[in-house]
Amino acid sequence: MSAAETAPARYAGTRVPRVEDPRLLTGHGTYVDDVVRPGMLHAHFVRSPLARARIEGIDVTEALAVEGVHAVFTAEDLNPGVREQWYTLVGRDVPDTPRPPLAEGEVRFVGDPVALVVAADRYIAEDAAELVVVDYEPLPPVVDYATAREAAELVHAEYPRNVAGEMAGLPVEELAPVFDEAAFTVRETIHQQAYAAVPIETRGLVAEWSASTGEMTIWAATQSPHEVRLFCARLLGLDEHRVRVVMRDTGGGFGQKVMPQREDMCVMLASRKVRGPLKWIEDRRENLLSAGQARHEHADARMAFDADGSILAAAIDYVQDVGAYPIPWPVQTLPVVGLLFPGPYRVPQGTFATTAVFSNTVGRTAYRGPWQFESVAREVLLDIAARDMGMDPVELRRRNLLRRDELPLVNPCGMPYSDITPLETFEQALEMLDYGAFRREQERARAEGRFLGVGTCTYVEPTTGVMPLYATEGATIRIEPSGKVNVYVAGGSSGNSIETTVVQLTADALGVNIEDVNTIQGDTAITPFGGGTGGSRSGSMTAGAIAETASVLRERITAIAAHRLGVSAEDVELADGQARVPDKPEAVLSLAEVAATAYFQPENLPPGVQPGLEASGRYRARAPMIWANATHLCTCEVDVTTGEVKLLRHIVSEDCGPMINPSVVEGQIAGGTVQGIGGVLYEHLAYDEEGNPIATTFMDYLLPTSTEVPVIEYGHVETPGPGPGGYKGVGEGGAIGAPPAVVNAVADALAPFGAKITRLPVTPESIVTLVRRARTRGTVTG
Amino acid sequence: MPDVEVRMRVNGMARRATVPPRLTLADYLREHCGLTGTHLGCEHGVCGSCTVLLDGEAVRSCLMFAVQADGAEITTVEGIASPDGGLSPVQSAFRDHHGLQCGFCTPGLIVSVTAFLRDHPDPTDEQIRDGLSGNLCRCTGYQGILKAVRAAADGAAAEETG
Amino acid sequence: MKPAPFTYHAPEDAVEAVGLLAALGEEAKVIAGGQSLVPMLALRLAVFDHLVDLRRLTELRGVERRGTGLWIGAATTQAEVQRSAEVVRNVPLLARATPLIGHFQIRNRGTVGGSIAHADAAAEYPAVALALDAELETVSPRGWRTLPAAGFFTGMWSTALAPDELLTGITFPVRRPRSGFAVEEFARRSGDFAIAGAAVSVELDAGGRIHRCAIGLFGLGPTPLRASSAEKALAGRGADELPPGEVGRIALSEPESVPSDLHASADYRRHVGAVMVARAWQRAVKEANDA
Repeated sequence: MSAAETAPARYAGTRVPRVEDPRLLTGHGTYVDDVVRPGMLHAHFVRSPLARARIEGIDVTEALAVEGVHAVFTAEDLNPGVREQWYTLVGRDVPDTPRPPLAEGEVRFVGDPVALVVAADRYIAEDAAELVVVDYEPLPPVVDYATAREAAELVHAEYPRNVAGEMAGLPVEELAPVFDEAAFTVRETIHQQAYAAVPIETRGLVAEWSASTGEMTIWAATQSPHEVRLFCARLLGLDEHRVRVVMRDTGGGFGQKVMPQREDMCVMLASRKVRGPLKWIEDRRENLLSAGQARHEHADARMAFDADGSILAAAIDYVQDVGAYPIPWPVQTLPVVGLLFPGPYRVPQGTFATTAVFSNTVGRTAYRGPWQFESVAREVLLDIAARDMGMDPVELRRRNLLRRDELPLVNPCGMPYSDITPLETFEQALEMLDYGAFRREQERARAEGRFLGVGTCTYVEPTTGVMPLYATEGATIRIEPSGKVNVYVAGGSSGNSIETTVVQLTADALGVNIEDVNTIQGDTAITPFGGGTGGSRSGSMTAGAIAETASVLRERITAIAAHRLGVSAEDVELADGQARVPDKPEAVLSLAEVAATAYFQPENLPPGVQPGLEASGRYRARAPMIWANATHLCTCEVDVTTGEVKLLRHIVSEDCGPMINPSVVEGQIAGGTVQGIGGVLYEHLAYDEEGNPIATTFMDYLLPTSTEVPVIEYGHVETPGPGPGGYKGVGEGGAIGAPPAVVNAVADALAPFGAKITRLPVTPESIVTLVRRARTRGTVTG
Repeated sequence: MPDVEVRMRVNGMARRATVPPRLTLADYLREHCGLTGTHLGCEHGVCGSCTVLLDGEAVRSCLMFAVQADGAEITTVEGIASPDGGLSPVQSAFRDHHGLQCGFCTPGLIVSVTAFLRDHPDPTDEQIRDGLSGNLCRCTGYQGILKAVRAAADGAAAEETG
Repeated sequence: MKPAPFTYHAPEDAVEAVGLLAALGEEAKVIAGGQSLVPMLALRLAVFDHLVDLRRLTELRGVERRGTGLWIGAATTQAEVQRSAEVVRNVPLLARATPLIGHFQIRNRGTVGGSIAHADAAAEYPAVALALDAELETVSPRGWRTLPAAGFFTGMWSTALAPDELLTGITFPVRRPRSGFAVEEFARRSGDFAIAGAAVSVELDAGGRIHRCAIGLFGLGPTPLRASSAEKALAGRGADELPPGEVGRIALSEPESVPSDLHASADYRRHVGAVMVARAWQRAVKEANDA
């Protein structure tokens, strides 16, 4: 038994105050826009005002003449500089979709970067950008992805039918007998609108090229400094160790900052052509124009049931909008919507077809729970089925949710579920609400002409998935001669509290006081390689990396202490920053004393023990993925006159395994949940019929504020996962589970009108329209 | 478009600069004063990340030109904690109640809440929600922030009566 | 998102200000609180060579009782209005509309005159001024004049102000006995511009009949509007004679060009506008009855 495994946890599981907070609360964080370098220049993009057009010519003369302008670059200046362009997360050998730095020959969405102005300050750069004259020959755009496969025009000439990729399971015809013979079937086409990550800090980077040394230093707003480094090295043909990427604080990413995008490529390329570090900070309009959309998709979803309501089969034909320039290659994650469509239910047979379609709109980018639509489609469909069958949706789910004794289990699409508790979280959420009491209250309210609703969503989610970039995670721990501890991981604060998590876990792993642990993150020159924040992986993978590394040091500390105390290593315990023998109060050494021996008195080391107290270790994920699950339950009141939705309660019962820090877990859930609420009720990255984006400011792109959100209540079911500490991922789930629960709650409130919600967002107007239609049909009941 | 001279006191320190009239107060604070705690999240007055106190009143520093603050007393987030780094009651409450995650919107919230609680020492929950509605946060779902403001208000009230 | 360059002027008084406006012509724009103007400058949706700042014009600030009216200086901030006991007592409709404007940080800078002169059709103050038949006091190189709110709002973001004319103050009639006021608006989120809203004032006669009433509409046309035919239909009738829903319906049968955008179609705006009128009417009548 190694000492690393015997240390009792003092900090894991507790609400340790965050180590990030003191700097962030006092205005002393370091976000990319706070980085100032001597001689720094500022970049601003000229962007296409048209959804699709041929570039006939670009005249930069007038712009170049503006005082303070250093350069104006177009595609012919920058694009030839690209050596290799691919993401480690996806791999080199995939049929990736096109991704030019600046638009070349043709612009493909409003906001497409066409030229890059470099000037002494941002004000001047924006002045000059207005003077860049681009001669556009307008072309008919493909605006609606849903009809793009039949469109006469192509977004990219090399992609027939505008299809970026397709992935499918069994032909759905093979399930036809089940659907034909089932006692009950339900089939709906469900549509979700485009919405986006919208971190409050926009994207940005500073690229500083040193021609004399051949070194590139980049400060970036990123979720993955090491991916930025790998990408930049390949892009520019530099050796990786000549590229350093630094991020101290990133103001939220939610997927949008997982990978460098086209603008980042342009700034990296341009920085080698200008005299001075080059800064680009995206403004909010650019962020809403060009940083990417997500969630724009629809599906023909169906299920078959027997007479008792047991699911017999599930099938989904899913189509997603990938815009003009998706990041990353969308086809890799495309089938996940199909694979997860059966969700946490007993589904004997199932299949899927999935298609990614280009359009002349902004590209699809990764966003918190990228396959979230599997839950939207399934859970909305289940509520519709229940209503059609005359069953309470809760009863329908109870009948079909997987029980613990049925696990592990492979779903009909091949997903191997384990360590999940869907039924338990479902029942816990219902109990927290007092479902029966709510139904009675709903009855009373309806009698008074008030419309309350309740909706749920139960989902399973693969977290900590092993993709190439994400397969391992490293940590270096350096115990200083004073006994103070520095722990180095790739990490970087982007809202996930990873600094606090690392400090907590390291203090426990070494048996030291948390105040004595410091963490250094977000600098590729000094931290071990790591994949960054994405795919709900940071907790588990970092825990593994720390455990691997700390066990080496524990063994060494124990050996040194045993030698000095004249006891055997098995008798030594590490706790409170000491190595001690439990029953012998005099047999104690502080970590500082052990460190002093390790560094300064090598002659006192036991034979075979290395000097120093510094170690690096690397954790390799034990399972291809770690399953997490949750149930969201939402209640609301709908004013059927105005269509206003007031959310009353939002309950989340989750199983993320043991919690490293409950405050962090709850914060992640709440943040994701409110993004989901926003996605259903407020946010819409909309385009008009000509392909003009019409939500390019915060006046039109509506993020939820404090007055729109309910109090979020948390329930916890704890099943350890197959990884270090049993920890599971929890970063994305809120954004997956909340939307269907909210949709179902509103639909439930409108049940007396026979209204069915199959199109998002759910706006006041859409509700009034549903109610009106029902009243015209005369179908109002109850 | 001649430059203009501006003088103001920022976090108690007299400042003087000659700036283009179009320089926003936010950019002046960030670039000329080096006070980068004031963040720009939208530059059109919606997100609230750039909120500062102008003669004691919370305002969007992206919606003002530096020249308009000539002669004013400005407090930024850097001026809220005590000089030795001790957190203010509002800042402490945010830390105690997980009222921040990525921290980007946090300076605007700290400044706004400081002004709000000064003017509403005993707020209802509804007033708190309303008072916070001019600051967007994308990480926390506002849950920790709401708790923090409640706690800061209750703490201040307890101090009054205690 | 940085504004284009401009030359900055900070005149000492209103006469100097309008002198500048006259001299600089169409390339000049008045800036008061800037809460609507600066976003437009930052987005470069508007570009001016000259900004004339009113910040030194202390004569344009304050709340004063003047005869049967309450004068509010154009450069008085919305926050000052919100804090003013005079306003609460004498012009309840204005007091109730104020917290609906943006957020408190916006109201700390935004001014009464700026809001009215900016003339956003979805804003609260223009509709309140219209509903209360406020008088708008202006100055230009040709002298001072007073304009009725009716006729002031001439189109989308445009008013009867001459290019070299400055709004200096607004006089709202002080409330009279047996009157009631209410403002109701529907917005996607709190603090947003209204999708549709109504500002209602009603005064009853001794017999409890409607002596006069005004229904101001916002978000329902290119300018704030008065629902005149509804007002006419109501005049002289018993306060409870027409059901509020009917008042809303009549009021919303009037607007001809109801806007349609991402947040709401014209149809929906009309529908929810009628609901807002009905709700405001009901509350205003109740207050008048109780007064």
